[in-house]
Amino acid sequence: MAFAGFVVLLILAVNAALFLAMLAWPLNWWGGFTLPRSFFETNTFVVLLFVLGGWWLESGQFAQGGLALAQRLGAQRIPEEGADFAQQQLRNIALEQTLAANMPMPTVLVLPRVQEVNAFAAGWRPADWAIVVTDGALQALSRDELEGLVAHELSHLREGDTLLNMRLAGMVGGLDMLYNFGRSIAQPDLDSRERGPWALFGFAIMACGWVGHLCGQLLKSAVSREREYLADARAVQWTRNKEGLGRTLRKVLYLQRQDLRAMPTHSCVQHMLLIDTQEAHGRLSDWLASHPTLDQRIERIYGEPMDEVYAQTPR
Amino acid sequence: MAAWIAGLIVLAVIIWAIVAYNRLIAFRNSISNAHGQIDVQLRRRYDLVPNLVEVARKYMQHERETLQAVTLARARAVSASDALRAKPSSAPAAAALADAEGALSLGLGRLLVLSEAYPELKANESLRDLREELTSTENRVAFTRQAYNDEVLAFNNALQSFPDLMVAKVFGFEAAGVLRSTDNAQQRETVRIAL
Repeated sequence: MAFAGFVVLLILAVNAALFLAMLAWPLNWWGGFTLPRSFFETNTFVVLLFVLGGWWLESGQFAQGGLALAQRLGAQRIPEEGADFAQQQLRNIALEQTLAANMPMPTVLVLPRVQEVNAFAAGWRPADWAIVVTDGALQALSRDELEGLVAHELSHLREGDTLLNMRLAGMVGGLDMLYNFGRSIAQPDLDSRERGPWALFGFAIMACGWVGHLCGQLLKSAVSREREYLADARAVQWTRNKEGLGRTLRKVLYLQRQDLRAMPTHSCVQHMLLIDTQEAHGRLSDWLASHPTLDQRIERIYGEPMDEVYAQTPR
Repeated sequence: MAAWIAGLIVLAVIIWAIVAYNRLIAFRNSISNAHGQIDVQLRRRYDLVPNLVEVARKYMQHERETLQAVTLARARAVSASDALRAKPSSAPAAAALADAEGALSLGLGRLLVLSEAYPELKANESLRDLREELTSTENRVAFTRQAYNDEVLAFNNALQSFPDLMVAKVFGFEAAGVLRSTDNAQQRETVRIAL
C-alpha cells in the first residue's frame, strides 16, 4: 500500500525532474520551447517499467523459497545419517526450540568454511523455511549459546519477518533499478570521455531513483530493527535463559573488536542475518542500519550494559 | 436514521463477537496441539530409555543403582501412561503418571550429571553422543511442557480480560490449568558424586 503511493510519488518526481531538465536543454534556447509529444506518458511508462520490472526480477531471486536461496548461497543441509557431532547437536537444538515455540520444524543448514559467527533465516511458508548457521558459530559457541542463536532465527520465521523482508527486498530492488538506469545515462562517453547533454536527464533520473532508494532503505531498516529486538525477546522467552543469546552476542562483540573482518554477504540476505556485517558510522548510517548495534541489543537483553566475552578466534 | 444507527451498532457488536470467539477457539486448539506434543515427546523418551541405559552401562559400571532407578522409573511411567489412556478422566491416574514422569526426569538428570563426572571419558565419542541424546531428550520434554504453559497463559489472558470475557462466559470457555513441577522433597534430593 505504502509502496503503491510511493511509486506514484516517484512518477511525479521523475516527470518534474525531466521537465526541468527539458527547460535547460540547449536546443530549446534557440527555437521556441516545445515538449516532445507524449512526454509525460513516456516518462511514466519508463518509471513503471523499471520499478515494477526490478521488483519482479528481485522477487524472482526469492521465488523458489528460502531453502533454495540458502542453498544458492552455499549452505549445506545436515545429512540424515552420518552428520558429525556438532551438526547433529545443532539439529537437536533446532528441534527442541521448535517445540518450545510450538511451530513447524525448518530445514537446518550449515554454511561451511565461514569463520564468522552468524546465522540467517529465510522462507515464505513452513515447507521452504530454512535456517542457516555458519561453521564459525558451530565452533565458537556452546550448546546454550547456539540455543539462543537458533531461537532468535526461529522467531524471524514464526513472526513472518522473513516473508516481510523478502517482499521489502524486492521493492527496494525495484527502486534501485531506476537509480542504476539514471547512472548509466549520466556516465561519460567511453570514447570521448565527455558527458553529452543527455547526462542531464541521467542526473535527474538518478536523483529521483536515489531518493526512492533511500526511502526504501529507511523503511526496510526501520522494520528490520524492530524485528531484531522482537526476535531477541522471543529467544529469551523460549530458552528461558538470557545468557544463551546474551553470551552469543557478547562473543561476537569480542570477535569484532579483534578486528576479524566480517565476510561480505550477499546483499539480499543482509537484513536476515543474526548480526549485520556492514559497519555503521554516523547518524545517517544509523538510520540505514538493518540491525541495532550489538551494545544496544545486549543492553536490552540484560537490562544493563555488559562486557564482551572471550571467544576462541577461529583459525 | 436512528434505526440505521442502532442496526449498525448491533452489526458491529456481532462481528466483534465472532472475531473474539474465533480467537478463543484458535487459542484452545493450539493448547490441545501443545498438549499432544508433550505426549509425543514422552513416548519418544520411553522408547529411547532402554537404549540409553544400555550404552551408559558400558561406561558407568559403578552407577548401577542410578541405571536401575531409571529403568524402574520408565517401567512405572509406561504402565501409568497406559492406565491413564484407558481412563483419561481419572485424576489419580493422571497424578500417578505425573509422579512417575517426575521420577524418570530426575533419574535421567542424575545420569546426565554423573556422566559429566568421568573425566577420563570426556573425550569418548560414544559417551559424548549419549550425553547429547540425554540432554536433547530431557530438553524436548521440558520445552513441550513450557510451550504448553505458554499457550495456556496466552489463552487464559485472552479469556479473562475485558471485553472478550463476555464472549467466553456466553460460550462457556473455561480457563486451562498450567502444568506444575511434581518434584517432592525426596525426589529433589541432590545428586551426590563420589570421586
